[in-house]
Amino acid sequence: MKIVAVTACPTGIAHTYMAAEQLEKTAKKLGHHIKVETQGAMGIENELSQAEIDGATVAILAVDIAIEQAERFARIRQIKVPVQAALRDPEAIFHQIQGIMLKNV
Amino acid sequence: MKSMSRRRQSGNGMKAFLQQHKQYLLTGVSHVIPFIACGGILIAISLAYAFRFLPPGPNGGPDLTHAPLFIQSLGTIGAAAFTLFPAVLAGFIASAMAGRPGLVPGFIGGSIAGLPQTVDGHSASAGFLGALSIGLVAGHVVNALKRILVPKLLRPVMPIIVIPILSSVAAGGLMLALNLPIARVMIALNTGLQSMQGGSQVLLAMLLGAMIAFDMGGPVNKAAFFFGVAMIQQHNYAIMGACAAAICTPPLGLGLATLLGRGQWTEEQRESGMAALGMGMIGITEGAIPFAAADPLRVIPTIMLGSMVSATVAMLGGVGDHAPHGGPIVLPVVDHRLVYVLAIVAGSLTVAVVINLVKKFTDKPAVALAGKTL
Repeated sequence: MKIVAVTACPTGIAHTYMAAEQLEKTAKKLGHHIKVETQGAMGIENELSQAEIDGATVAILAVDIAIEQAERFARIRQIKVPVQAALRDPEAIFHQIQGIMLKNV
Repeated sequence: MKSMSRRRQSGNGMKAFLQQHKQYLLTGVSHVIPFIACGGILIAISLAYAFRFLPPGPNGGPDLTHAPLFIQSLGTIGAAAFTLFPAVLAGFIASAMAGRPGLVPGFIGGSIAGLPQTVDGHSASAGFLGALSIGLVAGHVVNALKRILVPKLLRPVMPIIVIPILSSVAAGGLMLALNLPIARVMIALNTGLQSMQGGSQVLLAMLLGAMIAFDMGGPVNKAAFFFGVAMIQQHNYAIMGACAAAICTPPLGLGLATLLGRGQWTEEQRESGMAALGMGMIGITEGAIPFAAADPLRVIPTIMLGSMVSATVAMLGGVGDHAPHGGPIVLPVVDHRLVYVLAIVAGSLTVAVVINLVKKFTDKPAVALAGKTL
């Protein structure tokens, strides 16, 4: 499955990047292709293009704050979780995605 | 994750509403943290220089007029960062709610919250809590304006003329209207404090402590602070002594709490805790704001209690402060230094222990509210 994700925490110096790493690691382990954009104190890094978002099956928004350029995600199926969820139990997010996909397909 | 699906299923309107507004506030806070850190540290450097190398000014405080240009400039740059802080906070709260059109009324309302209002020679501004509230108001106003249906021909005029002007007049006007009453209340508080001087010293100290912590640099804090400063000018140093101990207690106590209860705080909060400790050491109560903004109902009462403790200990121990500033940094100009340190330690420990206990006993529902997984 092709997945895009955004991580953003209030301070934007630690959790944003740790969550991104967790999501990347877990996706690799479960055999998904993922690209994670971080919106930390440095602004948007590893930015997702509209084409990348449109080409993905689902978007994970692991965010505690309002994200920038949210309009990019208007057309994609998405799952929104707190940053903590991506840190503590990233696999659960992927399981939930699979659950949603099975139901809807 | 579990709690997220729970949230979806229950569809609890009030919870979702609070959760969403918390996200708005955190977005504003995330933009304002670098401003507070930058301004606080630069101001502290210039003040520290003044304390160390320069004679005190006419009111006994640090006096930068004879400082080297470089030091003066650092102070000015830091002050600029602090001046922008209410505007940035409100602006980004509003833009989190309403997107780009939220920026204008948020920035304008917030900067008005930071404008000092002068009444009878006293000045006050609405400060942090004013900025926070007006940011939310501005966001809601813009969202309401966005819902107005206009003919296609007029649509381009909405985002660049109609919405900015109407929302700014609404948010700015409301803030202006509120500023004067806030200033009046502050000045009334000040007069009230003066009339309490003859009465119970302990009661006065407790009141001062609670006021200092309540809005962390806002109008209520400043009312207590300026009362202390005014008393210095009348050679009564005890009032400022109580204030000085209370000023640094919220950031020091919260920073200490993140050290004592490591498991109870996220790594992120522990980092904010270190910054809060630094700001507490140099007497910047604003260091507690990231904690208070994220969790006001639990944090603000706790820091008020802690500051009451430190102000009371300082007052009873006869601490006097000759400088219009607080925190461990003013130690060289304090009478009864040991008691001063003790007062700060007692207050900070109170904050740390109480907030960690409160978190321990109330974190379950709060965590569910925040949608965290445990």
